[in-house]
Amino acid sequence: MKKGLNTGLTAFAVLTYLILIGLPTRLEGAAQPVLALLLALFFFAVLRSQGKEMGRGELLQSGLVAGLVAGLLVVAEIGFFVGLLADGVKIQPVFDKVVPLNMAALLNVRAGAIINGETSLLAYAILTAYLTGAGLLGGLLVLFTRSGTASTVRSTRIPGGRWLVILLPFLLFAFIYYLGLDGVKTFGNDKNIVRLLLVLVATGAGLFALAAAKEGVEKLAIGGLLAGVLLFLPFVLNQFQNSVMSIVFIFVMMGLGLNIVVGYAGLLDLGYVAFFAIGAYVYAFVAAPFSSPYISSLLTGMGISPDSPLLGYWSAIPLAMITAAIGGVLLGIPVLRLRGDYLAIVTLGFGEIIRLFMLNLGDLTNGPRGLLQIAQPTLFGVAPSALTSHLDAQGWIFLLAIFGSAVVAFVAIRLNDSRLGRAWVAMREDEDVAQATGIHLVQTKLLAFAIGATFAGLAGQLYAARQINIFPENFSLFVSIDALALIIVGGMGSIPGVVLGALALKGLPEVLRGVDEYRIVAFATLLIVMMIVRPEGILPSARRRRELHSAEAPPPDESDVSDKPTDGQLEGGRA
Amino acid sequence: MLTLENIHTYYDRIHALKGISLTVEQGEIVTLIGSNGAGKTTTLNTISGILTPKEGTVYLEGERIDHLPAHTVTHRGVVQSPEGRKIFARLTVQENLEMGAFNRNDDDGIASDYERVLTLFPRLRERIKQPGGTLSGGEQQMLAMGRAMMARPRILLLDEPSMGLAPILVEQIFEIILEINSQGTTILLVEQNAQAALQVAHRGYVMETGTIRLSGDAKTLLADPQVVEAYLGF
Repeated sequence: MKKGLNTGLTAFAVLTYLILIGLPTRLEGAAQPVLALLLALFFFAVLRSQGKEMGRGELLQSGLVAGLVAGLLVVAEIGFFVGLLADGVKIQPVFDKVVPLNMAALLNVRAGAIINGETSLLAYAILTAYLTGAGLLGGLLVLFTRSGTASTVRSTRIPGGRWLVILLPFLLFAFIYYLGLDGVKTFGNDKNIVRLLLVLVATGAGLFALAAAKEGVEKLAIGGLLAGVLLFLPFVLNQFQNSVMSIVFIFVMMGLGLNIVVGYAGLLDLGYVAFFAIGAYVYAFVAAPFSSPYISSLLTGMGISPDSPLLGYWSAIPLAMITAAIGGVLLGIPVLRLRGDYLAIVTLGFGEIIRLFMLNLGDLTNGPRGLLQIAQPTLFGVAPSALTSHLDAQGWIFLLAIFGSAVVAFVAIRLNDSRLGRAWVAMREDEDVAQATGIHLVQTKLLAFAIGATFAGLAGQLYAARQINIFPENFSLFVSIDALALIIVGGMGSIPGVVLGALALKGLPEVLRGVDEYRIVAFATLLIVMMIVRPEGILPSARRRRELHSAEAPPPDESDVSDKPTDGQLEGGRA
Repeated sequence: MLTLENIHTYYDRIHALKGISLTVEQGEIVTLIGSNGAGKTTTLNTISGILTPKEGTVYLEGERIDHLPAHTVTHRGVVQSPEGRKIFARLTVQENLEMGAFNRNDDDGIASDYERVLTLFPRLRERIKQPGGTLSGGEQQMLAMGRAMMARPRILLLDEPSMGLAPILVEQIFEIILEINSQGTTILLVEQNAQAALQVAHRGYVMETGTIRLSGDAKTLLADPQVVEAYLGF
């Protein structure tokens, strides 16, 4: 009861924050369900950690109380604001996002009704019901997903809950499809943002469904179905949604590569953007040779016209990957002897060096003016977007990004289970001991850098194709930081974690575009909270979870030894 | 089997080993004793390739192995169990043991050595799924030794296996060393616990500030007044 009250108060603070940054204005007609969903996730996260020992009723009651408290407080707050607005008090200079539209979205009424002070009590009641429902949903979700061996868990887990988790992404995808049909008016005419949010949530839910599936046939079947649905997405989303999803999946590819370097091998690389940039520029050189002064004069000298691409998208893939891999080895060699902080600083410098090269090698890279009109990927010589009206150019990039991510994820999984993967883990744990067990440190480190770089190169190439025009400014330090942040949030060393991290860090900010100036603060907060509450990430690898929660592992038997012998014992020992 | 001839090893400009020569014959337990800073661990690290001698040669069955990188030396059957129970703290006991066999690909042999190690150290079997870091000190030492055994060493380099352990455990560890040796593994044992080491060893070398002060039969050294005075402390 008391815990529920506390949780409700925290939720109220979070909601107030979201209202003050103007999120409801942005969500329009979908504000109530979306806020309820976000709140449910929040309650889920909190109750999951709080409610470990709670029974079924207790847990649901806790959720209910939390939701009700948050709902009543928020309604009171909104009532206060609405009253002020109706009286014509100027609150905008203080809270610039508290406008009639914001309140109207929250209460699901017309803005005019707010200004005229014509809001019914029913509107408030509905909002309270939504938020209370969120609390209940959060509690239910905990019951569904509980796992472990504790006896309370066994008695309170609802049978078949696993199947609900598995079914959820498919239901969401179906709903997304429904929203995209002509003439569907749910959520008003502008369904852009809501649909994007749903796609992000559905894809994330897909990862949890996969995690909930039993190893073997079931996992394969669900994975296959999810892949099929995902491949269908580019055909039903609009240009904007596709373009956001394509950048999300480009970052998935990049995150998977960085995950090898940082997550598997434990080498903190802050200059990872360098390989991304190499991939992008290499593709730009061959796909738009005319925009590089040096290359076009070189080609003209050789009697080749620089006006058409030298290589197509597919044939340029090996080139981009190999060049990036060489970059990886070049970075790897000087940093072989460095560890920890020093390694981070040197890699940071490397990333900046590459960016400065792009900026200052004007002849080759066209400097800050960038490389323009990069050729689009084709399929057997034709652009698929020209063949069907259902697939726009961004959708095609999204499709390629899904495909690329799948390939990269497959390689990463295989690598993790390989000899090399074990060598990386051992090296991450302790370089000296790894060497003593016969691991070739130089080779193992360089392979980590090279393979990680290869993935980034592949992602960079697709990025260049997506952007059409690339500039050195696209490859700033923040790309490295984004990539690193997404694997930390998702769960270091975990492949589903990388996908989830990319969805949360590259996708969600696009949903929140309207509340631009606050989103950096929001994500900083999210990162800090994550590191405290769940340092292993949202979907961690089994090993990582064990590492960070080893305190919860069964303690060693204390009866056997005392580690530090006393003085007297030492002498008496064996004599 | 293993011969060191006039080895000089430096840490930058610090002359740590000043002409070490020693031999270990097939099937022996040879112990290297001496006080802190005498160069015992440096000697082991020079043999295993973690350090490279500036002068002198290391022969393994007639072939030079100084200047080989550490992982190649391991591959040739010289396996070190490092000082201070250096285990992979966050990997499970089982994973630690598997890492020991990293350079082998004879699955049957690995499986039988795995059984052998768990028979030698029944304690590890009880802890098989536990992260190495959660083991007690003695168990960690057993794990470090077990992991070294998993490489099927021809010569096992043990660095201070008794360090920081309770006397009852020290006794147990030394019994296991004898057992490993009786199963055919040659052992070079570095110890500060000179008494215990000399009781299990066939021969011994006494080190002092980078040189070998004395060498000989373990029984003789145990009775040697200089050794008794300096290291055994009666």
